[in-house]
Amino acid sequence: MGKLDLLSGNKAVAYGAKLSRVQVISAYPITPQTPIVEYLAEFIANGELDAEYIYPEGEHSAIAAALAATIGGARGFTATCAQGLGYAFEVVAQAPAYRAPLVMGVANRTLGWYWSVASDYSDSMPTRDLGWIQFYAESCQEALDGVIQMYRITEDERVLLPGMVCLDGFHLSHSSEPVDIPDQDEVDEYLPPRKIYKHTTDPTESESYVYPSLPVSLHTTYRKIFENAMQRTKDVIREVTKEFSERFERDTHGLVEEYHTDGAELLLITMGSMSTAAKRAVDRLRDRGVKVGLIRMRFFRPFPSEEILRIVEKNGVKAIGVVNRAISHGTSMDPLGAEVAATLYELKNRPNIINFIAGMGGGDVSIRDFESMVNKLTNTLNKENVRETMYVEHPIKIETPSVKFSDAAYCPGSQLCAGCGATLAMRHILKILGKNSVLVFPPNCVSASLAMHFPSSWMGVPYVLANYAAAAAYARGLQRAYKYRGKKVYVTVIAGDGCTADIGLQSLSSAAESNEPIIWINYDNEAYMNTGIQRSGTTPLNAWTTTTPAGVKWHGKKEEPKDMISIMIAHRIPYIATASPSFLRDFESKIKKAMKVVEKAEGLAYIHIQSPCPTGWRFPESKTVEIGRLATLTGVWPLLEVDHGTFKLNLKPRKLKPVAEYIKLQGRFRHLNDEDIAMIQKFINKRWEKLLELDGKIMW
Amino acid sequence: MRISGLRCWKMGNREEYPEIITISTKEIGSEPVAHWRVVKPVIKYETCIKCWVCVQYCPEGVIKESEKGPIIDYRFCKGCAICANECPVNAIKMVREV
Ligand SMILES: Cc1ncc(C[n+]2csc(CCOP(=O)(O)OP(=O)(O)O)c2C)c(N)n1
Ligand code: SF4
Ligand code: SF4
Ligand code: SF4
Repeated sequence: MGKLDLLSGNKAVAYGAKLSRVQVISAYPITPQTPIVEYLAEFIANGELDAEYIYPEGEHSAIAAALAATIGGARGFTATCAQGLGYAFEVVAQAPAYRAPLVMGVANRTLGWYWSVASDYSDSMPTRDLGWIQFYAESCQEALDGVIQMYRITEDERVLLPGMVCLDGFHLSHSSEPVDIPDQDEVDEYLPPRKIYKHTTDPTESESYVYPSLPVSLHTTYRKIFENAMQRTKDVIREVTKEFSERFERDTHGLVEEYHTDGAELLLITMGSMSTAAKRAVDRLRDRGVKVGLIRMRFFRPFPSEEILRIVEKNGVKAIGVVNRAISHGTSMDPLGAEVAATLYELKNRPNIINFIAGMGGGDVSIRDFESMVNKLTNTLNKENVRETMYVEHPIKIETPSVKFSDAAYCPGSQLCAGCGATLAMRHILKILGKNSVLVFPPNCVSASLAMHFPSSWMGVPYVLANYAAAAAYARGLQRAYKYRGKKVYVTVIAGDGCTADIGLQSLSSAAESNEPIIWINYDNEAYMNTGIQRSGTTPLNAWTTTTPAGVKWHGKKEEPKDMISIMIAHRIPYIATASPSFLRDFESKIKKAMKVVEKAEGLAYIHIQSPCPTGWRFPESKTVEIGRLATLTGVWPLLEVDHGTFKLNLKPRKLKPVAEYIKLQGRFRHLNDEDIAMIQKFINKRWEKLLELDGKIMW
Repeated sequence: MRISGLRCWKMGNREEYPEIITISTKEIGSEPVAHWRVVKPVIKYETCIKCWVCVQYCPEGVIKESEKGPIIDYRFCKGCAICANECPVNAIKMVREV
């Protein structure tokens, strides 16, 4: 037997992947999925899991790499949600045609709509028609079991389709429940090692591979063949979940779970974690003699129409309430509601149906809500052919903030951490930019803090929240609109290092090459901080982050940080600079120079600010300015600029301070020994010499 | 098909719920964060040399210049102690909040 432990849904998924002995993990952090990939990194760092770990620059690549690993014969794993799933959509659409048994964890979160980080199915629902198997967990236990079962299903030769294991963001991903973690050998008995199939792309084992294209005249035929495989999958699911239930002695059997459906006149159909509250409502109502039952959709794809029909017919169900955290705009129904309605079409005596749209953006759906819904169902019993949609709403009063500031570009009270270097930087940036600005924010710590008090902001200039990979494009579009309309507005991007150096780099590169007159400010806190300290392209060598932990196998980040200044030099843009909020005069003068450059429409101005982060770098918050100063005085963060091609070192200490003075103050370097520090010192010395050589040179 | 709300609270009232939500750039606002603080900066005016280093480096921008020396808006001070750390003459003391 396994062991019982308190696990969050995310940790449960990570355990599921570990017990499935995943071989290649490729994923990108995004709230609320992040802990999944953090736990997996920890397992590898501690030597508990032997797997390759890929750090791609965004989800488009993350899912592509996991898919390709699966095509190449490994047991691939990835996880994402929301904007990540949206960004990867084309890869997600392509995966089924490879017939690659990839498994993806989805910690459901609102996609696109007003940036909620909590759960609804607006992310996974749009992928429902692409050919993935979709499983929705109700509990953390099911999240763990679901991953193991999903590998067994997807790798079955009758299936060979990718599968998603969905769990409600926060409701499940971040809430802890007792979970029975099965023993490895039990799982090994249930889940055989990954097989190499005839279509696996491996020239050493197989002489064939998947043909990637089809003549037009075969598309419809292949859709039919594919759909048959999907339908066939239902039997495989029934079979392997039954076996799982028997082996592990818990009921995980079937595409749907039935709860008090016997003799049910009224039926709720739900999915995910809200089903638990729905079941409690069913209990209460049954106690009061109401004949109500529940179907919980374990699998949404393939769609369990046989099960639904059987239950409805057997019990002579008179009214059905389909409750879901989703809506298919333009139909006034959610996809589950629409599909249940379509399924019922086969019946002669069709029950009434109310589609309840509930819990959007992560709102709670309570036991009382379900009781009210059942009430509404009861009210339809004296009518026929009812098809209605109802929104389960919990509206709040909109209140204005308690302290108001007039005509200010900035006001205090942000939710950024105490001692945050980015707050200090932002305050001075806004002071210089003034009110005639529009800021573009990709997701990051600063932008997440902007809209925390609905409906107010601590910034007195308009801003546009940009998609993470397209921040530069948003700025270009805005700038061109003002140009065309004859307006002078400063368009400035405030991006973190994750956006600048990783996911947003190609958009930035394109804008730079096109000489778009926009200012790009990269406040570099040397990791993805908003999602909780994951490695980025500019994280320093050896630094601890949650995805580069120090353990038996790993020693912090293995690679040198990306040299963004050289990348920008290669674009020959009119102004490039580094800056530090510890050197405010230099800092402010550089913002002014950048404004001049865009005012004259010369091209893009790039300012790279080091932004010490007490939370992520692990130092006392009183030391933010001191650490920034030390970074410059030790040569870790040289202040420089490349003004219309001329390189200049703005601050040249006669002698650099030892780098240890900087490193020793920070917990993220705690695991470094003297040898490591000596290596870093060597690197810094070498780079400093190079910079001294460049000083005053013309770069292009 | 009928469409309705299950639990209406002034729904459909356009004044309460504008279809497009906008906010003003003219008047902005926020909520005090004083409850974040564990320690509180207290200025020793007799030691202060009015160099305004603290004004510059307070990340929140809650220290203002005045004739007698810097004044802190405690409603918005998060207690990070950067001001105390940066003051060249140790004129800012961090004291435990009670
Ligand atoms: C396409 C997409 N992927 C992932 C995310 C999740 N996400 C939001 S903020 C963030 C990290 C931001 O890091 P960085 O850009 O370095 O800024 P910081 O938070 O460190 O200030 C991530 C990964 C997202 N919003 N969109
Ligand atoms: S995590 Fe770091 S960058 Fe983000 S708000 Fe906190 S201190 Fe600032
Ligand atoms: S403690 Fe921090 S927030 Fe408070 S006044 Fe000093 S620097 Fe500003
Ligand atoms: S830093 Fe110290 S000396 Fe300078 S103004 Fe502030 S309190 Fe006075």
